[in-house]
Amino acid sequence: MSRRRHRRKNKSAVKLNVTAMLDMAFQLLSFFILTFRPAPVEGHLSLNMPPPVPLTNVATEVIAGKEGGGIAPLHALHLFVTATETGEVAQVRLESAILSSGRLTPGTLAGIDRRLQPLFARGNAIYDRIQIEVDRDLRYEELLKLVDVCAQQKLPDGTSLGKVSFVEMRPR
Amino acid sequence: MSHGSSEGAEPDLTPMLDMVFQLVTFFMLVINFKGAALDQTLQLPVLGSARPLEWKGEFEPLVLNIDQDGHIKVYGAVVDPEKHIAREAAELKAQLKAAGQPTTGELPVPVVMRSDKATKFHLVNRIIQLCQENGYQQFSLSAMTGKE
Repeated sequence: MSRRRHRRKNKSAVKLNVTAMLDMAFQLLSFFILTFRPAPVEGHLSLNMPPPVPLTNVATEVIAGKEGGGIAPLHALHLFVTATETGEVAQVRLESAILSSGRLTPGTLAGIDRRLQPLFARGNAIYDRIQIEVDRDLRYEELLKLVDVCAQQKLPDGTSLGKVSFVEMRPR
Repeated sequence: MSHGSSEGAEPDLTPMLDMVFQLVTFFMLVINFKGAALDQTLQLPVLGSARPLEWKGEFEPLVLNIDQDGHIKVYGAVVDPEKHIAREAAELKAQLKAAGQPTTGELPVPVVMRSDKATKFHLVNRIIQLCQENGYQQFSLSAMTGKE
């Protein structure tokens, strides 16, 4: 009882000094505000990029595989990309066939996609990767557009190709 | 007269302290120290089909910031690409060895390539080749998902 009385008497005298705590909290707040960087909205294009394979004559090898009676070995489909002086795409070739000329637009990319699709379709699966021989001056942005089209090709089992290799084109 | 009223003029700081602590809590929850490894000065290419990286592996991916001149930047400082990639690969192999996983062949960790959109191919390809020589074969090419 006497203790209770004693507490009641001193209740108004107990006062927590929050100024020091507030100072510390403001310092913490300043630190977090200054170091705060909102995460950028970034996406990724996931690829398996094994080292390039030597350029071979695909048509000859396919015939040789059939003659042998066994399953034809899988090959790399070779694309060739030349660039303008400004680093934009000048021409895209599939072996010797021209897929597109001039700048890459959504239309030309769709055209390249249409030309590539049958090559990876069921019953015609002789390729397991795309190897792109690229002009050394091509800008990364342009290359990525083309890689995106290549990576989206569907293999006969329904999975995305996702296997791309790069080779630097020899200077002309 | 003024001496008599000075005791009662002390402001109540409790609501302000509450608010500051709430702000501190917010920033503590949203802070991302890994974001500091990403060079925000790079202008990444735009690719609508790019998806967020879903990496749930045990080991951290190797993040490479490649500027227009083909330099690799780590926390803003330019580093020697050959030494940096070799060191990172060696560290990863040591971690794999400690975890009892095979260290030969393809490394089970992707390389996150954050390259500037204006970088020329031969500069990017040089970095890719260095990664491949050190056992990396999985790559994640960073891009912005929309024009912002």
